[in-house]
Amino acid sequence: MTHQVKQFFVQAGELSSFASRFFKEAFTPPFEFKELLRQCYQMGNRSFVLVGVTGFIIGLVLTLQSRPTMIQFGAVSWMPNMVGISIVREIGPVITALICAGRIASGIGAELGSMRVTEQIDAMEVSGTNPFKYLVVTRVMATTLMLPLLVIFGDLIALYGSALVENLKGNVSFQLYFNTVFNALTFGDLIPATIKSFFFGFVIGLVGCFKGYYSKKGTAGVGIAANTAVVMASLLVFVVDFIAVFVSDIFYEL
Amino acid sequence: MNSDLMEKDTSIALAKEKWKSNTDTNRKAVIRIKDVRKSFGDNHVLNGFNMELYEGENLVVMGKSGSGKSVMIKCLVGLIAADSGYIEVMGKEIATLDRQTLDELRSDIGFLFQGSALYDSMTVRENLEFPMRRHREKLGVVSDTTPLVIEALENVGLAHTLDLMPAELSGGMKRRVALARTLILKPKIILYDEPTSGLDPITAKEIIELMRSIQKKYGTSSLIITHDVDCARVISERMILLVDGINYAQGTYSELSASTDAKVEAFFKK
Amino acid sequence: MAKTTLENLRLGIFVILGTLLLLVAAYLIGNRQNMFSKTFNITAVFKNASGLQNGNNVRFSGINVGTVKKIEMVNDTTIKVHMIIAEKMQEHIKKDAVAMIGSDGLVGSMLINIVPGTGNSPLIKEGDELASVSKIATQDMLSTLNVTNENAALLTADLLKVSQSLTRGKGTLGRLLNDTVMASDLQRTIANLKLVSNSANTTLSELNEMISSIDFKESTAGVLLTDTISARKMRNIIGNLETSSFDITQMTKELNTVIGGLNNKDGLVHTISKDTALVYQLERTMKNIEQGTERFNENMEALKHNFLTRGYFKKLEKKENNRN
Repeated sequence: MTHQVKQFFVQAGELSSFASRFFKEAFTPPFEFKELLRQCYQMGNRSFVLVGVTGFIIGLVLTLQSRPTMIQFGAVSWMPNMVGISIVREIGPVITALICAGRIASGIGAELGSMRVTEQIDAMEVSGTNPFKYLVVTRVMATTLMLPLLVIFGDLIALYGSALVENLKGNVSFQLYFNTVFNALTFGDLIPATIKSFFFGFVIGLVGCFKGYYSKKGTAGVGIAANTAVVMASLLVFVVDFIAVFVSDIFYEL
Repeated sequence: MNSDLMEKDTSIALAKEKWKSNTDTNRKAVIRIKDVRKSFGDNHVLNGFNMELYEGENLVVMGKSGSGKSVMIKCLVGLIAADSGYIEVMGKEIATLDRQTLDELRSDIGFLFQGSALYDSMTVRENLEFPMRRHREKLGVVSDTTPLVIEALENVGLAHTLDLMPAELSGGMKRRVALARTLILKPKIILYDEPTSGLDPITAKEIIELMRSIQKKYGTSSLIITHDVDCARVISERMILLVDGINYAQGTYSELSASTDAKVEAFFKK
Repeated sequence: MAKTTLENLRLGIFVILGTLLLLVAAYLIGNRQNMFSKTFNITAVFKNASGLQNGNNVRFSGINVGTVKKIEMVNDTTIKVHMIIAEKMQEHIKKDAVAMIGSDGLVGSMLINIVPGTGNSPLIKEGDELASVSKIATQDMLSTLNVTNENAALLTADLLKVSQSLTRGKGTLGRLLNDTVMASDLQRTIANLKLVSNSANTTLSELNEMISSIDFKESTAGVLLTDTISARKMRNIIGNLETSSFDITQMTKELNTVIGGLNNKDGLVHTISKDTALVYQLERTMKNIEQGTERFNENMEALKHNFLTRGYFKKLEKKENNRN
């Protein structure tokens, strides 16, 4: 028991020092710009379909599930407001982040883990390239930059899915639907959600790299790295979300 | 327990004596290791290891797996920091170098990793170009690195694999590509970490032949770490046996294989 | 190399599309809050803010034209509301426009309605203060109307008493009528009855006027509909009117019985035919009562057609149908 508690704090400390090393290395030359672009493509474009499909289904299901209740209250015309706000504020960023935690954090964990195990990271170090810059900084930057974009796409597709249900079941035109949604939204919904997504991306990239970079030797180590990366990233996404709600509460009255 | 420790201590002292008497002051040493210690927690891997690599020679360090050979070789290029002791490569003490000087020094050292360590996500060409990213000025190449890549691949007889991915290569081919990558910066010292491990005897023999021809062609100094007696017999000019974290014995292959010391004999038993 | 270029192209498209989407979303949200279009400020003073908040919509003739910027408490009965209005609306809003606080549907948020004035006033300028209609004023109006109606109800009740006492005296009436003193007394009573019916007449016409004045203020009265308290008051008034009309019908019925009784008694008929003045007076009285009830009917008709109370009457009708 005490060992687990100790282990928890050790992990937190290691992750923090890993993060501080990231900031130190991220802003000193040389910059691995080409590799950053490659990683952005890997994480942004390659996740797009996944995020799109998930977003579409979430929008569809959320609308289908809450329609009967809204009809009971006679507030079915408020569906776009409700769905729009919940998607933009919470569901869009969190679902996208969780999907990316599953896809990207595990991917990074496994990739860096196997690179560590097969000494590829050492090989990079020896051949004059700082592997932390080349592997970690680029990946963390890529997730941090790409996740907000994915969230925006995810939100839009989720709203489209929701509008589709409203259109088919409630005869609400797409124009009316999106007009109502944007009437209901304020900057207080969009800005905190976008800032939050940057942090989600940062956490996902950081945890994936951390777990992979310090992977234990052996093939089992790679599996553990990938697995714990997903678990820890998902958990941290919720922690960040929790903090974000409190912080945005200070700036925007919710 | 206590008596074991005592015995170990005396053997260490013995080895140090041997070392001093065998130091050849007439030849120029490119690597000097003095009394290096390294431990991971309670596991003492190196207990005061001493070694010198002279210019142009082939030195084989033999030891059982887990005896700290790989740790020792990684200390040489600064991948692992030693707990104490003195490591000097080409006249520079590794522990005192800043990142830039260390990188410059590393460009003069080739390192062939145990599992080839080719970058999985890159093609063979990109793998070979990778070490040149930071060392272009050294090679005097500004734009096109293709001739250098092809030359390096021709040295190992694999010019046709230029645009293949490492996953498409066999184990022996991977090792040869890795060797080509090691050589691309024209290093003065090459460190081989178990060059024949995981290979079948025929491929292993090919690799050893390749190593010899390269040494002849470029006149490099080589430090080979292995537990493969056949490899050591073929390539070694001088051998050091690493036992219990110290340089237990040294000499030529024939000297050592004729030794009557129990621990030395254990290496050469078939 | 070509692969990398293609990847970068796709990445570029992805990034630019994403950023554009974000900007469009931000623009659409900002547009609603009049952040990017040119605006001007106007104010209106209310007695009661009714839960209005910063950022609530301002509507002019039902179109969203701006938002509430600030709500300032000047003193305990004066609340100054600052509004931002889109500049393009400046050429439509005149100085005699009236601002009032309403709500967007049954469960909607509060908003400010600006109702155009009827006159040819000049257009409003930056910083102008609009006239406002507070809910208190309309409620006052309704309560006055309520008092009037209650009075009318009391009056008809008195009338009922008078006619009831007349019918109760039926048995002795013949005797009374034979007595000339009694006859003159009766004459006087009837004259009084005439006076009463006259005053009822005037009251009802006043009521009529009042209701038509409500009708005239139809535009502002629209707001009343959403207010449940006002609606309840309206219902009260109408209830009172109903009792009044019921009372009046009963009274006329009873008068009929009186007259019928008079006709049956030979002596009375005789007396009446002899006394032409009395007959004439009786006739006048009846006419007045008739006129009064007619006017009342008109009032009721007007009420029925007034859109304010139409719903209520429809409901009554439905109830009636259900009962049948």
